[in-house]
Amino acid sequence: MNSIEINNHNFILHPSGAIFWLEKKTLFLADVHLGKVAHFRKNGIAVPRKAEGLFYEKITKLLNDFTTTRIIFLGDLFHSELNNEWYLFESWVKKQNLEIILIEGNHDIIPKLEFNSINVKILENLIEDKFYFTHLPIHKKDYFVFCGHIHPGVKLKGSGLQQMKMPCFFKSKDQLILPAFGGFTGLHILSPTKGVKVYITTGKEVMEMS
Amino acid sequence: MIKVLKWFKKRGWNAQKFQKECWKAYSEGKNGILHAPTGSGKTYAIWGGIIDESLKMKKHKTGIQAIWITPLRALAVEIQKAIQIMTNDLNPDLKIALRTGDTSQKERGNQKRKPSFGLVTTPESLHLLLSTKDHQKTLKSLKIIVIDEWHELLGTKRGVQIELAIAYLNSFLPNLKVWGISATIGNKDLASKILLGSSKSFVTVNAEIQKKIEVESILPKNMERFPWRGHLGIHLLSHVLEIVKKNKTTLIFTNTRAQCEIWYHHLLDGNPELAGDIAMHHGSIDKKIRLWVEDALRKENLKVVVCTSSLDLGVDFSPVENCIQIGSPKGVGRFIQRAGRSGHQPKAKSKIYFLPTHAMELIESLALQRGIEKHKIEDRLPYLNSYDVLFQFLMTLAVGSGFDQKDLFPVIQKTFCFQTIKKEQWQWILNFLVKGSQSLEYYDEYKKVTILENGIYKVINKGIIMRHRLSIGTIVGDATLKVRYQKGGYLGSVEEWFISKLIPGDIFTFSGRNLELIRIRNMEVIVRKSKSKKTRIPSWMGGRMSFSAHLSNLLKNALYEETNKNSPEFRALSPIFDQQKKESIIPKSNEFLIERFETREGFHTIFYPFEGYAIHEVMASLLAYRISLLKPISFSMSFNDYGFELLSDQTFSKEDFLDNNLLTKNYLKDDIERSINISEMSRRRFRDIAVISGLVFQGFPGKPIKSKHLQSGSQLFYNVFKDYEPDNLLYQQAIEETFEHGMESGRMIKVFENIENQSIVWRNCSQPTPFSFPIITDRIRTKLSSESVEDRIRKMSLQLEKGKT
Repeated sequence: MNSIEINNHNFILHPSGAIFWLEKKTLFLADVHLGKVAHFRKNGIAVPRKAEGLFYEKITKLLNDFTTTRIIFLGDLFHSELNNEWYLFESWVKKQNLEIILIEGNHDIIPKLEFNSINVKILENLIEDKFYFTHLPIHKKDYFVFCGHIHPGVKLKGSGLQQMKMPCFFKSKDQLILPAFGGFTGLHILSPTKGVKVYITTGKEVMEMS
Repeated sequence: MIKVLKWFKKRGWNAQKFQKECWKAYSEGKNGILHAPTGSGKTYAIWGGIIDESLKMKKHKTGIQAIWITPLRALAVEIQKAIQIMTNDLNPDLKIALRTGDTSQKERGNQKRKPSFGLVTTPESLHLLLSTKDHQKTLKSLKIIVIDEWHELLGTKRGVQIELAIAYLNSFLPNLKVWGISATIGNKDLASKILLGSSKSFVTVNAEIQKKIEVESILPKNMERFPWRGHLGIHLLSHVLEIVKKNKTTLIFTNTRAQCEIWYHHLLDGNPELAGDIAMHHGSIDKKIRLWVEDALRKENLKVVVCTSSLDLGVDFSPVENCIQIGSPKGVGRFIQRAGRSGHQPKAKSKIYFLPTHAMELIESLALQRGIEKHKIEDRLPYLNSYDVLFQFLMTLAVGSGFDQKDLFPVIQKTFCFQTIKKEQWQWILNFLVKGSQSLEYYDEYKKVTILENGIYKVINKGIIMRHRLSIGTIVGDATLKVRYQKGGYLGSVEEWFISKLIPGDIFTFSGRNLELIRIRNMEVIVRKSKSKKTRIPSWMGGRMSFSAHLSNLLKNALYEETNKNSPEFRALSPIFDQQKKESIIPKSNEFLIERFETREGFHTIFYPFEGYAIHEVMASLLAYRISLLKPISFSMSFNDYGFELLSDQTFSKEDFLDNNLLTKNYLKDDIERSINISEMSRRRFRDIAVISGLVFQGFPGKPIKSKHLQSGSQLFYNVFKDYEPDNLLYQQAIEETFEHGMESGRMIKVFENIENQSIVWRNCSQPTPFSFPIITDRIRTKLSSESVEDRIRKMSLQLEKGKT
C-alpha cells in the first residue's frame, strides 16, 4: 500500500484500485460497471457469471481493512440498464451502515429514484476542502481533482524485450485518475508525460513507477 | 450433350477430355470432384452438365435449382457472367443470380420473390440464406451445389461452413448432387472425402494439364551487401525494372498489402515513365478500382500490376507474360498457382521470378524449385471440432426456422469436422446456447435461444437476430473504415488500428496515392490528395503466413543435399555461409544446432529445427516452459520457418539445458498444454473464435451500432474464460487449435524423435549469426514467465510518450 499526501490530507492507494481518505474515513472507487456481465448475458452473450461476483468480495475486504464511514463511487457504478444485479446491490447496501454517494458517470442510466429509494445519494460532482470529485477527468482551478472514466493503464518495458500492460493510478499535478474497480472492464493505455506519477496496481501491491 | 458440344464448336473450342468426362458423370447423376487449375475451362466442365440437364426437362420447377459457391466476391461476379453467357445461348429462359455481400437489399428482395434457376454466391451468403425462415421452401427444387476452388476453402473455417451447409441441405434434399472443383493439392483424396463423404459413390476427374514452370531467382550482383533480414526486397528494384521493361506485361506478387503499396511507389519512382502503365490490386482497394485493373489487364492496357493474393484466383489474364514473386510464397501450391498466372496460351511456359527479400530466402527458392520439379504440393489441413463455427451455424438455424436438436445431431455428426462429436459435447453446446452456462443459476437473465413447446430451438429476441445476421461469416478482420475523398469518391478501406495512430494533417500512402487525413466521421476516413513525400504506409494485419510442413522438408533437403552446392543460389550465398561458419556451423542432417549470444537486448538462444513456423511456435513455448521450471525466468519468444529464439534478461547455461534432458519426448502433450496455458499463446486464436461464435460483436462499417453497451474486446473474454470457465469448449478450442492446427497429427512427436537421433551442437557466438538475424529482429513475439508479476515489474520502466522523455 502506498500513502500520498495532497493539500495536507493523506490518501492510501489500495492494490484493488480504491483510495482511502484517512482524515475523512472515506473510501472512493471508480468504474465498477456492476451488472455488465448480466447485461451481456441478457443480450445473448455468455460471459461467465462468476466474473461479476468479484465486487462484493473486494469491497468486503476493503471495509474490513479500513474503518469507513462513507463510500464515494466516482461514476459508472452500473454498466447499463436495470437488471437483476440491482437486487444484489440493494441487499448489500441495506447491510451497510455507511453514507453512500454516487457521482454520476456516463454509463449511469438507472433512474435516480431507484438509488434514492435505497438511500444512495446521487451528485453531479462533489467539492470538499480543496478537493473536487467527478467522473470525467477535468482540471479545475484551485482544486485537486479525483476522477475515473478512463480505466487508465500503462505500458511497461524491460530488458529481454519484456513488455506488459498494467492498470494504474495516474496522478498529475492537480488530478488523480483511478483505475477501474470492476473486473470485466478493459484498459486504456496512457503515455505519462513529465510530472506525472504512475502507481501500478497488481492486485497484491501498489508499485510506484518513476 | 449435342447442344453443348455445338456451342463449343461455334466458339472455335474443342471440348477437352476432362470436360467430356464431367458432363458424362453429371448426366449419370453422380457426384464428383474435378481437379483442374484456374483458367483451364473448368467452369464449363461443370456448368455444361447442368445446362444439359435443364434442356432435358420439359417444365421447370420454380425455385433455385443450382447453387455455385466461390470463395471470393470478385470471382462470383466472373462466374456469374461466364455461366450466364452459356445459358443465354442454350436455354435463354433461365437466369443466373448473383448474391454476395455486395448485393443490395432491393436485389435480395427481388431474388426472394422471383428465384432464378442458378445462384452464384459465397459461403457466407449461403449461410445467410439458411438463416431465413422459409429457406427449406426456397431451396426445395435445388438439384446441384457446386463448390468452386475447394482447395482454397478447405483448411479454413469457411471450409467447415461448407461442410455444415452440405450436410444440412442433404438432410432435407436427399437427392442433392454435390460437385467440387479444386486445384491440385497434396491430400487430394482427403479433400474429396471431406466434401463428398466416404460412403457415397463419386467420380474424380483430373484435368491433367501440366504446365511447364520455369523459376529464376533474382540475384544481386554483389552478395556482400545482401541484407540478412528485411521483407521489402527494394534493394533489387533495378533488376525488377529491367524485367518489366523487357516484357509486355508483368504481374508482381507481394505477400502483404503494405509491401504492395511500397513496391508500387518504388517502381514508379524508379521509372516515372511507367505512369499510366502501372496499377495496384489488393483486397483493401475499392471494388470499382479493382475491377478496372482486372479489365485493363485483360485488354493489355497495363504493363505492370503489383498485387497480393487478391489476384491468385480466377480472372483469366492471357496477356501476362511474366510473374515476379517478392519474398517467400510459403508453399509450393501457392507458388505454382501464381506462376500459372503467366503464359496462359496452351503449351506456353510459365515463367516466374523469385525475388528473395533476405539471404535465407534463397534457400527457400531452391526448395520451391525442387518442389515444383517433383510436383510435390502441400496438403491443406482441415479444421477439426471448430465449435465456434458450429455455434454460429446453430444460431443461423435458430434465427430462421429453428431446429430440432434430435434431428440435427446426426446431421452434424456426418460432417468431417465433427465426426467425433459426442452426446456430452452436443448437450454442452445446447446448454450454452439456451442457458449461457451448464447449470441454471438463480438471478441469471441469460437470453439467447429459447426451446419452444414443440421442442424447437429458436431465437425470439429481435436484437439478437439482427446482431447474428450482421455477423455471419468466418473471415475475421479488424474493423475497417472506408477511405473517401472530401469531394467524393471511394478509394478503399483501411484497418481501424492504423488510422487510430494518425491525427488530422498526417500524410499516409494508400491505393498508390499520398493522402492527407482531414477527419474521421461515421466510420469514414475523409482525405485529400497531398504532394508531401513524408508518408506512412498502413501495414495491414494478417500478413503473416506459415510455411507448410511440406516445404520444411524440401527446405531441409535443399540445405543438406550436396548437389545443390553448385546452384546459382548457393554460389550467391557463399559469403553469407562463410560468415555463418565463422561464428557457428551450417548444420548437417544429423545435427541440431543451438546458438547462444548476448546483445544489448539480453541473452539470445536460437534453435534450428527447420520444421516450419507452426511447429516452432509450439516448440518455443514448450522449451521456455521446461526451462522456467528450473528457476524463475521470463522469456520473449520469436519464430520463423527455420528456427526459434528464446530471449531472456538472465542467462541459463548449456549444462542447465543439456543435463536436464529438456529435449525429451516424454510428457510432451502435458508439457505443451501447460506451456500454452502459461504463455497465453492461444490468445490470438481466441480472438477469431470469439468473433465467429458471436461473443464479440464487431459491428459493421456504415452501420452504426446501437448496442454500445455490448462492446468488448476478445482479450477481456479470454481473461474471464481463463479465470472463471477454463473448461468452456470455446476456450479449449483456442488451446487445441494452437497446438494442433497447421500440423499433421503426431508430427510433434516425430520432430522430437528425430532430435533424439541428432547430435546437439551448442555454439557460443560473439555476435548474431546470419541464420539468426531474421529471427531475432522479428518483433511479433509471445511471452512466458515463471516470475511473479511484481518481480517482473520491478525490472521494468514506463514507456513514455514518444519524443518526450
